[in-house]
Amino acid sequence: MGVYMLEVVVENKSAAKDPEGETIMRELMHRNGFETVRKVRTGKYLRIEVEAENKEKAREIVFKMCNDLRIFNPVIHVCSIREADV
Amino acid sequence: MPLLGGVEVSLAEEEIRKVREILGREPNAVEAGMIDVMWSEHCSYKSSKIVLKQLPKEGERVVVGPGYDAGVVDIGGGYVAVFKIESHNHPSALDPYNGAATGIGGIVRDILCMGARPIALLDSLRFGPLKSSHSKWLLRYVVKGIGDYGNCIGIPTVAGEIEFDESFERNCLVNVVCVGVARRDEIVLARADRPGDLVLLVGGATGRDGIHGVTFASRSLTENSEEDRPAVQVGDPFTKKLLIEATLEAIKTGFIRGLKDLGGGGLTCASSEMAYKGRRGMEIDVSKVHLRETGMTPFEIMLSESQERMLFIVDPAGIDKVTAIMDKYELQWSIIGRVIEEEEIVVKANGEIVARLPTKILADPPTINREAKKPAYLDELLKIEPPPMPSDLSLTLMNLLSSENIASKEWVYRQYDHEVGIRSVVKCGDGDAAVLRILGEDKGIAVASDCNSKHCYLDPYHGGAGAVAEACRNIVSVGAEPVAIVDCLNFGNPEKPEIFWQFKMAVQGIADMCRALSIPCVGGNVSFYNDDEVTGKAVKPSPVVVSLGVVEPLSSIVTMPFKEPGDEVLIVGETFRELGGSEYYYTIHGIEGGKPPIVRFEQERKTLEFVLEAARRGLLKAAHDCSKGGIAVSLAVMSIKSGLGADVDVAAIPAEEMRLDELLFSESHSRFIISTSNEMAEECFKLARKHHVTLSSIGRVKDDGIFLLRFKGEKSLLCKVDDIIEAWKKGFERRMGWG
Repeated sequence: MGVYMLEVVVENKSAAKDPEGETIMRELMHRNGFETVRKVRTGKYLRIEVEAENKEKAREIVFKMCNDLRIFNPVIHVCSIREADV
Repeated sequence: MPLLGGVEVSLAEEEIRKVREILGREPNAVEAGMIDVMWSEHCSYKSSKIVLKQLPKEGERVVVGPGYDAGVVDIGGGYVAVFKIESHNHPSALDPYNGAATGIGGIVRDILCMGARPIALLDSLRFGPLKSSHSKWLLRYVVKGIGDYGNCIGIPTVAGEIEFDESFERNCLVNVVCVGVARRDEIVLARADRPGDLVLLVGGATGRDGIHGVTFASRSLTENSEEDRPAVQVGDPFTKKLLIEATLEAIKTGFIRGLKDLGGGGLTCASSEMAYKGRRGMEIDVSKVHLRETGMTPFEIMLSESQERMLFIVDPAGIDKVTAIMDKYELQWSIIGRVIEEEEIVVKANGEIVARLPTKILADPPTINREAKKPAYLDELLKIEPPPMPSDLSLTLMNLLSSENIASKEWVYRQYDHEVGIRSVVKCGDGDAAVLRILGEDKGIAVASDCNSKHCYLDPYHGGAGAVAEACRNIVSVGAEPVAIVDCLNFGNPEKPEIFWQFKMAVQGIADMCRALSIPCVGGNVSFYNDDEVTGKAVKPSPVVVSLGVVEPLSSIVTMPFKEPGDEVLIVGETFRELGGSEYYYTIHGIEGGKPPIVRFEQERKTLEFVLEAARRGLLKAAHDCSKGGIAVSLAVMSIKSGLGADVDVAAIPAEEMRLDELLFSESHSRFIISTSNEMAEECFKLARKHHVTLSSIGRVKDDGIFLLRFKGEKSLLCKVDDIIEAWKKGFERRMGWG
């Protein structure tokens, strides 16, 4: 068994709107002189340390957990998982 | 799925034949997409239209009845109340947060597009029992979605109801209500009737979201529904708040000749329905529409259900003035077309015609006469044997009070801002209905929503009638006069004759009750296909009724809690042995059948008239109707709300022959518990005789901290008030995993 660190990013599917990102771009960035910003998408970030036999297993556990606990909703979100250094 | 115009459509072969027959040609892809959407159950009401005809729509106060985005009733003094209910069941079952939030967004637009300022929200929610983590997830995020959206746009959520039952496990019901007020002369209709007027699209940019949302809502959820493209949209409450203010300001210019929101069916639905109402047509250039994504096709633009959009029909003379208002609020807008003489919808893209359809084929699709058949299981269910009498009635009451259907829903409504706007006079939990003041007047609007789906399952006719009766009882309880209803009819698949029978019977019940009370139904919504394709199970029939009343002056408002020790406690109406579908059977005995309550139409009317007059004459100190959990629960809640005890002699309750537990927990209609001072009691009896209503004194309010029900010399049920408060207040939180 080893300990693996995984980074989970949950964001709206690309076809779905992201009012929070749009508001940040319009009201904060554009209004304050950063007019070159073309798009902002917000999301949720989790860094999870998990015990597992190997990194594939670790990934499996984290994905299943995020799905079962509805940390993301496959109807509207995409959930990407990548490994990081412990 | 079959093909029409080269694209897949959700229509039956018979309907496809009809399209070709009416058009006399094969539609192209854009036209087929538009027809597909408009002929869906959601937009066309093709199965329900024939049945809905029997609802009474006329009344002295009716300004705008069914067929528009919301019902409008005159409330006197130059004011109108605008209200509407809508379902957002399918999206909420897949994405509870965004599904519920956009439900609020949609219903707010419905009120706004009549020219009224939205002032209050209500929600009627139905989920599976909370022992399931899926149900908890749905409930938590539906409530959060409603709260976040409603709170952001500054409209209070003032009332509602929640029911739990196994049948809603996979198909939750999320019905949302919005109430608005306007001056009578400010009402705008969703109509385009003057050729040459400009068509102005305002608000959110159009994207690919929600394409085919309505066809998706017009079929049952499948295992694969989660994988579909996001048919659920994401709401944007900040844009909505700007849209509300800009719209109301634009109306004041006098140049807005028609107004409609873009909801299900998007631009196709809004343009064709407005043109059809005005007996005109519309020309739309999709290349003018402001877009969120690049490369969108005319098909996608015409069908997109992107949120926060409104369609204005503007007098050309005032277009600059109106668009200047939109600019002021930093809302995007585009002039996308004009009203035309010919009764057709012409869609252009880059100068070329991409669709040309008669308005009628879109806005008035053929109806379907569906078969109805009484389900075979019903008679069996009604015949069940009564369960054994519980040995400890005090414990039974505690269990009922802490059950998810009866326990306080404070956990839910404290997540909502229910006071923003300074109109809330009677707030969540203080009365059977919420009361909102009309600013600057000594007048209020009362609203309440109701439905008992367990009763409806056993007897949809009396269940439908009962929903109207209960909603009106709730209005009268606060001292208001019910003036109109709207309904939201949630059922399974109408292609199944047993489901369609439930639907027909429920609507008939609603219609008969409305007639008996002389109250019109001014609008509503039908949601079919609330069933699970995998298990084949449909939701219990749930015709949710919202009643709106007027209370004037505000000093005649009555609330639910007991007021003072020594006050006399009375019961209005008679109790019958009607335990079928009761909370008592369901929670305590796990029984689904039995003989459910029936509505005694004439008696209901008299009872309502009596309580209303008593409230207006200032005879009532507290009032609460008897519904879920029967007399025992109604009395207990009045005690809980006041912290005061009660000493009640159950033998004094007018009733037919039955066991003590049945008497305490039967859910018969036409009953209220009221409290009054000793001096007023005699007046109450006089008034009851005048109205031919049964009234009986059953006990007194006490300050000894004890809730006591006596029967023939015995203390049959005795609880500490503190204990019933604890059971009722904590019951719900505990089930959600808190407290």
